[in-house]
Amino acid sequence: MVGRTAAAGRELVNGEIVLDDAWRSFSPRGDRGRTLKEVVAAIGKGRAAELPPTPALAGVTLRVGPGETLGIVGRNGAGKTSTLRVLAGIIPLHRGFAQCGGRVAALIDLGSGFGREFSGRENIHLTAALHGMERRDVEARIPSIVEFSELGHFIDTPIKTYSSGMLVRLGFAVAAHLDADVLLIDEVLAVGDEAFQRKCVRHIRSRIAGGTTIVLVSHAPGTIEAVCSRTVVLDAGAVAFDGPTAEGLNYYHRLLGVEDQEQAAARQASDAPVWIRQAELLDADGRPRQVFSPGEPMQVVAEFETRADAPDIELVVDVRDSNSHSLFQVTRGLPTSCGGGRLVIDIPRLTLLDGDYEVPLGIHAPGDTAPGIDRMLRFSIAGAGGADGVVDLRGEWSFDGAALGASEAR
Amino acid sequence: MRKYRYLFDQLVRRELKQKYKGTFVGVLWYLVNPLVLMGVYGVMLGTLLHVETVHDYLVFILSGLLVWLFFSQGLSASCSSLVDQAGLIGKVAFPRATVPAATVVVQLIPMLTILVVLIPLSAILQGTSLLPLLALPALLICLFAFTLGFALVVSSMNAHFRDVQPIVTAALLPWFFVSGVLFNLDHLASSDDHGARRTLEEVLRWGDPIAPFVTAFRDVIYGGAWPSLAVFVYVIVAAGASLAIGATMFRRLSAELAVVI
Repeated sequence: MVGRTAAAGRELVNGEIVLDDAWRSFSPRGDRGRTLKEVVAAIGKGRAAELPPTPALAGVTLRVGPGETLGIVGRNGAGKTSTLRVLAGIIPLHRGFAQCGGRVAALIDLGSGFGREFSGRENIHLTAALHGMERRDVEARIPSIVEFSELGHFIDTPIKTYSSGMLVRLGFAVAAHLDADVLLIDEVLAVGDEAFQRKCVRHIRSRIAGGTTIVLVSHAPGTIEAVCSRTVVLDAGAVAFDGPTAEGLNYYHRLLGVEDQEQAAARQASDAPVWIRQAELLDADGRPRQVFSPGEPMQVVAEFETRADAPDIELVVDVRDSNSHSLFQVTRGLPTSCGGGRLVIDIPRLTLLDGDYEVPLGIHAPGDTAPGIDRMLRFSIAGAGGADGVVDLRGEWSFDGAALGASEAR
Repeated sequence: MRKYRYLFDQLVRRELKQKYKGTFVGVLWYLVNPLVLMGVYGVMLGTLLHVETVHDYLVFILSGLLVWLFFSQGLSASCSSLVDQAGLIGKVAFPRATVPAATVVVQLIPMLTILVVLIPLSAILQGTSLLPLLALPALLICLFAFTLGFALVVSSMNAHFRDVQPIVTAALLPWFFVSGVLFNLDHLASSDDHGARRTLEEVLRWGDPIAPFVTAFRDVIYGGAWPSLAVFVYVIVAAGASLAIGATMFRRLSAELAVVI
């Protein structure tokens, strides 16, 4: 904590976030379960060769202004949660500087609650108190917290009887009423039913309008797209991209694609008769894109190569939702004699609604019942206002005021 | 720090609820343990073995036992407090010292309950002066600070090294027997004794930091006398030193709490 204000050079405005060259690593054994006995034994033997610590944050620099909405995406272990915990002041940095201006509320790991023997109401009091609230303020807010959580009379039963969805509803309801200048949200919206998720997003939007700074960590690009105007992509503990959300998510999807490409390269090396050299999703102008609007055209383009002696082969193209349920699947035979080519699947109209989707491509011999996945493409749909679900079945609405009168007259 | 008053209040309530199930009968339960201890030692050492021959031996024991119980229960309850509250510590940034401090504050409840019973009992049986009881609040504050300092050390140590708890438990038992709760330190050596027994008496009297607290409380409650100046100064210095060392160690050891627990 030494030198914090010195590094900022000034007092931070409420809602401002500064992260300056932040470094933090963790010992791979998690530092857990050490005992004095082990320490004494280690002194006897001299210093044991300890595993080197794994860096979680390797020089993250970030400036967020008051009222900004920042999404953080990245692969597992990229440092997303560490960034949030550092900003929340839960974990100290090894090097660098981190500070949030004003009141900070962190929604981290809501699903577990605080005291399992205690009622929802008692947990509201404790959570609010942990964030530095006074009794008067808490008591004044309890009715609206209970209402927001939709827990009804369950609010007075011990939270050990709650489902994980109920715990998240309680946690979010409290956090929603903390009046924070900075709201840090970690992956919690994924739990809870869809109606409550929408309620949370609505609430977050209203907080944005009220000037609260929001930092949202999520694996679901759809949520980021719905809430955040700016997105940071973390990779290996450093900022790989920082900019508008649409570009950020494209970058993130490409990052995930690189991982698949490495797998494909491995397949090529393993003497497969056919391999996909490149695959991407293109928009109407033929540009690679990962975020589409409902009703837009999309092209799936795959370039493949074959060996001269390749047997008959089929390409399976799948479109799946975020729960990996197949929405659409088509299998095509590929001509193998030509040595390769470019396959284009033209989808004239994406009849899908807001969410994240994946398009696995697989090559296999005809009749193979369990085909593998050779390449995974991903895209998100955003901007479907006024409709929820997966498939876009919106039709034209018409209203005839005279129709009812006619039936009554009959 | 002020804005976390309500948090402290909440933590104390929670601890109380878990310990006493939130009832007055639950608090009375807490008296059973010291009363049984007092009865057993009183009968064994006083009536049957005649090891200690002070008058009203039961009141003598209880006036020291309440100091020991506050200290030892505070220590063993706070030891695991941070680890027990891992859920809180991993999710929110708040002053971590509130957690062990709350467990020590809770020990005031049995302490005050015993005092309410003991003071009239001692006054009736002994007929002692009540004026020295005015020193009691100051002594209580010193005992609280002394115990809090130890609590800060053991709780943060236990978060880093999980075998601190059993070590503390093991150390408390022999400590109890030498602390002068069960016997009068004055009776260890006779006045003309200048040998090993005299040395032992001085070591037990001044080398054991809890012993002057026991002496001071006993002087006031059982003896109806003001504590000697030396004891009073010792108690104040010990309280200050314990709190200062505890706070320093806690500051160092608590930074990484969310990582180690």
